[in-house]
Amino acid sequence: MLKLEEFNIKLDTDLIGRSFVYLEECDSTNNFLFNTKDYNHHGTVVLSEYQSKGKGRKDRTWESSKGQNLTLSILLRKDIKSKLLGIINLGASLAVAQTLENLYQLDVELKWPNDVLIKRKKIAGILLESSSKGSKIEKLVVGIGINVNQVGFQGKFIIPPTSVKKEFHETISRERLLSELLNNFEEILKICFDNPNKIIEYWKERCDMIGEHIKVVENDESKFGIFSNIDDEGYLILKSKDKTERIHFGDVSLRQ
Amino acid sequence: MDITLLKKLIKVVETSNITEFSVQEGDLKVRISKNTKSAQIISPSANYQMPVVSSKVESAANEQTKTEAAKPAAEASENMHEIKSPIVGTFYRAPAPDADPYIQVGDSISEGNVLCIVEAMKLMNEIESDTSGKIVKILVDDGTPVEYNQPLFLIKLD
Repeated sequence: MLKLEEFNIKLDTDLIGRSFVYLEECDSTNNFLFNTKDYNHHGTVVLSEYQSKGKGRKDRTWESSKGQNLTLSILLRKDIKSKLLGIINLGASLAVAQTLENLYQLDVELKWPNDVLIKRKKIAGILLESSSKGSKIEKLVVGIGINVNQVGFQGKFIIPPTSVKKEFHETISRERLLSELLNNFEEILKICFDNPNKIIEYWKERCDMIGEHIKVVENDESKFGIFSNIDDEGYLILKSKDKTERIHFGDVSLRQ
Repeated sequence: MDITLLKKLIKVVETSNITEFSVQEGDLKVRISKNTKSAQIISPSANYQMPVVSSKVESAANEQTKTEAAKPAAEASENMHEIKSPIVGTFYRAPAPDADPYIQVGDSISEGNVLCIVEAMKLMNEIESDTSGKIVKILVDDGTPVEYNQPLFLIKLD
């Protein structure tokens, strides 16, 4: 079980994680927060030791061994303009990157839109789910999965996985990592609202694919071009011979 | 959960900045909230239900009439309402590739029913109806890109 004292000593937030739900098991922490009416506070964090249906993009799954990693979701209910969703999306990966760097001095790279990689291996994944009515975003759930102390991974992966323990060569205190993550997340969330361009700037500093020839796979379609930039809402700008395109989603990889 | 651990948890929450702490272990749910300054142990059967997606559309799909789909959006009259996309992204009619669409033309919907998903980057945004009525037309094909404020559905208001 998570050592609450240890987590609390390091937690330095005003809102994020001040309402905290700890689950032994659930289907997915995103689903839990999205569907429950019991927990509605802005900043509520749900952490589950095991997810039976951990989610990735579309129908992909997020597998994580029980009790070894961090799988959590953060509920945001503050008035969020839809144009900020992309910024918060990038910001979440930035918070994970900063945390891993601060605590373990790991060299973290970001891959659009929000994969967190170390030496081209995936250490954390992020999936956001929101609901809107009219033009208003009613709630936003930021799901974060970090591979912490798991060292063996079975299955097929689009990007090979790694974990903090594998990279840092020591067993990691999940409590410390969690509190540092929430501290960073709160700080970055504030920047998302106050100065979104800063998030783009910070994010770009950590992405080494900008300027490179890339392939973007969207459903069954592949697009090729140069990753020319990220626009002010976080979308990828792909330049090919005859056109410049704004990419909404897809799997990005360097062109071999 | 043993009582010593529970006492310990209460103490930690009391002395910390955490305002609310919940823990669920198997059948047991404990929720410690500072406002009440006491721990509540609630039977899970009464309190905890696995969330069920509340997007089930009231099943009035059998009332489908084909004539409605033929009406162009431009003819939207006063009792017609357009649902627009709040974000730029890709439009999906179903929660997963192999799942049934959230709604069909002819379905009656209530305010709050989920109509579709628009995906942008790694964000899946469920669009809920902001009104009650009947779906007259779906204006975008599944899996295609949509822009800000692009009309997605035409609804005949109740």
